[in-house]
Amino acid sequence: MPSPAESAASPRPAPTRFALPALLRGDVAVLQGWLLQRSTPRLIGCLLAIVLGAGIYGASIGCWRSPMQGVYTAAKLPLILLLTALGNALLNGLLAPLLGLNLTLRQTSLAILLSFTLLALILATFSPLVFFAVWNLPPMVAGTARGTAYALIQASQVGVIAFAGLTANVRLLQLLRQLSGSQAVAFRVLCAWLAGNLLLGTQLTWILRPFFGSPSLAVEFLRPDALRGNFFEALAYSLRVLFTY
Amino acid sequence: MNDYSPSNPPPLPTAAATASGGVLEAEPNAAELAPIGGLGGMLEALLRRPRGVLHHLSGSEAARLIGLLLLIAAVGAALYGVVVGTFSGGIQLWAAPVKITAGLFFCGAICLPSLYVFACLTGSVARINDVVGMVAGLLALMTLLLFSFAPVAWVFSQSTQSVAAMGSMHLLFWLIATFFGARFLYRGMARLGARSKGAFYFWMIIFVLVALQMTTALRPLVGKADTFLPKEKMFFLQHWGEAFSADKPTTPKTD
Repeated sequence: MPSPAESAASPRPAPTRFALPALLRGDVAVLQGWLLQRSTPRLIGCLLAIVLGAGIYGASIGCWRSPMQGVYTAAKLPLILLLTALGNALLNGLLAPLLGLNLTLRQTSLAILLSFTLLALILATFSPLVFFAVWNLPPMVAGTARGTAYALIQASQVGVIAFAGLTANVRLLQLLRQLSGSQAVAFRVLCAWLAGNLLLGTQLTWILRPFFGSPSLAVEFLRPDALRGNFFEALAYSLRVLFTY
Repeated sequence: MNDYSPSNPPPLPTAAATASGGVLEAEPNAAELAPIGGLGGMLEALLRRPRGVLHHLSGSEAARLIGLLLLIAAVGAALYGVVVGTFSGGIQLWAAPVKITAGLFFCGAICLPSLYVFACLTGSVARINDVVGMVAGLLALMTLLLFSFAPVAWVFSQSTQSVAAMGSMHLLFWLIATFFGARFLYRGMARLGARSKGAFYFWMIIFVLVALQMTTALRPLVGKADTFLPKEKMFFLQHWGEAFSADKPTTPKTD
């Protein structure tokens, strides 16, 4: 049975190669073509863009603590994106048809991978700025965690990642709207995917900490208690402390 | 403009196209009516053309299709049960899947007669076979979704010591899965001419309450215990209250 995506107006011929400008522009006709046609080089292009883009950004923020922390964070950021896409592939693939968007498992996984690719590319473009900011900051020493520099870096990370995430999701929404032909269906599917990815992504981020590192703790890939607790328990604990005292 | 007269009355609504709560359940189109093959075909049909599945469940292949749906439900529940068991490990690795699979089937079995009665009371032309098929579809879709949540559940089960937190997470996943299963059931009821949504909602409340009580009757599903089944009878709200009270808050480190 042809899916609505396949029976929709046929898109412009998609470039067979991994075309960066089309992805950045969010050219829905081209992206729709990418979803419908199998292409290993394009898939490899997406994976490479995630590894390099998120990796460069990770290196920029991690190098504030030490060069080795930069290497570790460069490995961990792409890992979070790829593991989130992989871990939720089946869930996202099931939710799409149940919510009215008749895509295959391969197509849903690729759609999410494309949005992660865009996110990684935007992060990569901000890397020089972040690196410049980090280079101009005083080195991370004990007590920095409460200082202005640390707050500045934290705030700028939140801003950059929020901007990249928002842009990637707006592009994904446009693509889903084109595929489904319905704003409501596209919005429902996006919300469901976001909820699942947020749940798994935050926990993977928690497990793979640290990213900045701490001057009072050793530089290491994973903390010895990496699997102890989770993000939501930490949040609940902080809220409890906040409202108790 | 309709061209009806006493000698040419409008056609009576068929069972398949009768309104349910004012909403017509459209007949499946030709593509949706394609035959359902083996297990893979059923999985695909359940997700992409549920109206086709409901149509075939009333046909000559009903027994085979119900068998496939129950097989999906059993395998899905067992696999998700293994993930639930990984939180505590040990005997829970086999006890949790056994309890979850048996509990789900038992829950479906004891709620099935009431669904048949409710369906008839609302004017549906459902036969008992149709109702069995719909419940089998409900269970299959639920467990399929639960299975897709398994990677997320596993990651969390390896990262926390809190039985209450893991129990809440499994409950959330189960509720989401039940929502989608209920949509399948609702379509089936509408297709068979049920005229009231109230009966459907009422039955769903019964089903959810029975399933929640099952989590207490078969405890522990997440945590550990000395015995396979509990020695003491308890209402599920009391059990959950005790589980949350006993749960010690952790003070996770962040950096």
